[in-house]
Amino acid sequence: MIQMKDISKTYENGTVALERVNVEIGKGEFVFIVGASGAGKSTFIRLLFREVLPSSGTLIVNGHDVVNMPKSEVPYLRRGLGVVFQDYRLLPDKTVAENVAFAMQVIEAPRRRMQHSVNAVLDIVGLRDKYKNFPSQLSGGEQQRVAIARAIVNNPALVIADEPTGNLDPETSWEIMDIFKRINASGTTIVMATHDKYIVDTMKRRVIAIEDGKIVRDEAQGVYGYEN
Amino acid sequence: MKISTSEYVIREVFFSLRRNSWMAIASISTVAVSLFIFGMFMILVMNMNRMAESLESQVEISVYLKDDVKESSIDDIRGTIESMQGIDTVTFVGKEEAMKRFQERLGEQKFLLEAIGDTNPLPNAFEVKVKHPDMVKAAADEISKIKGVESAKYGQDVVQHMFDITRLIRVFGFAVMVLLAGATLFIISNTIRLTVFARRKEIAIMKYVGATDWFIRWPFMLEGIVLGFFGGVVAAGALRIAYGMVTNKIYDTLAFFPLIPMFPFIGYVGIGILVCGMVIGAIGSTISLKRFLNA
Repeated sequence: MIQMKDISKTYENGTVALERVNVEIGKGEFVFIVGASGAGKSTFIRLLFREVLPSSGTLIVNGHDVVNMPKSEVPYLRRGLGVVFQDYRLLPDKTVAENVAFAMQVIEAPRRRMQHSVNAVLDIVGLRDKYKNFPSQLSGGEQQRVAIARAIVNNPALVIADEPTGNLDPETSWEIMDIFKRINASGTTIVMATHDKYIVDTMKRRVIAIEDGKIVRDEAQGVYGYEN
Repeated sequence: MKISTSEYVIREVFFSLRRNSWMAIASISTVAVSLFIFGMFMILVMNMNRMAESLESQVEISVYLKDDVKESSIDDIRGTIESMQGIDTVTFVGKEEAMKRFQERLGEQKFLLEAIGDTNPLPNAFEVKVKHPDMVKAAADEISKIKGVESAKYGQDVVQHMFDITRLIRVFGFAVMVLLAGATLFIISNTIRLTVFARRKEIAIMKYVGATDWFIRWPFMLEGIVLGFFGGVVAAGALRIAYGMVTNKIYDTLAFFPLIPMFPFIGYVGIGILVCGMVIGAIGSTISLKRFLNA
């Protein structure tokens, strides 16, 4: 699913975010990316959907050569991915159903499929009965569930999550993790950057630890390894 | 584009214009004013061109023949002139014809001619028109060298002045039109920038979920085109009224002034203004979006 070879990223201001990173992530894996703030986690995540371009190295994501792809192909890379952010990024003037449908609308999906798919993913995240609500009428956890529904509505092969539980209390975080587990169980690869020691330690999934732009640890059933 | 996408685009434009209705009205007004001035210059320049053309086309060389030229050699001279480069028409004006015209021009003062009795002091002459006004001088010089030609005259100074003035107006008018187009572009792109800014989160999300640049661009582009279109409609309407007033005034007082008639001319100007407004609107919105799409 992801092949990262000798990837380095130096920002224009001279900050070295990643240095010769080599990672391979297979289809169906559930991977945590851990590390302190500023270690390069965020850059790692953002490379995957080509929010940033690496300075050197090769990166294949879901069959797309991310480094050498023309700009016009980027939308097609992203259509195979779902992205979830810490701050949800919902559109406040659209309802739950509209927010989810928006992801189908912009890739010009056939309309007859839209209703069905939106209902299906709202079922998965357990928000079917709130489809008419606006984001401001929902709790943080519910908003994040809408964001997850939006991320998976186009059946992506890979879901990328950047601190998805960062703004949520522990109990709600577990509800969110449950949803991610279910999505992963259906065969979708998940790459998640997180600060949540408890979640990482309990889930016992693959953990990649980044420090100063380098991978310092990559364990199949790892733990968080830092004190919070 | 799919039907559902067209619907989406139209709905977005409608919502956006309604949400920023005051801004939309302000920018339509500014665009209308710019396009109106733009159109005024267009009309002015086109009328100037027409006037210059009509004056230019009237420029002709009067070729006076010497008195001792025999009837038979008149045709030879005519042939020589006609064989020269750039000559359009050559019309013979005989002594009698010239006298008749002179009498007509004198009108009621025809009695003045009684003083000269039956003699006719006027020479035989040719009126020569050239194909292009630039050729007048060269042709006149050459004709005056023909044997039997007394002189070849045209209004040298007047023609030269006229050329200078028309060129100046064309250059100046073009410069003003370019400046106004730039100003209009700036206004529209600023208005669209507000919409783009208000919707920057939406644009970012669209990019994350894999919308193509064109899909994102369409609603903004159409919004720019709509603003340009309505600005153009107002400007074209105002131009029609203004030109109507000007032409009426001029027909009443300066009838000889060769103004371009209102119809269908003002229709072409109107269409031109509309197209300009829409093109500028499209370009303006593309400029405002550029930064957001590249980010």
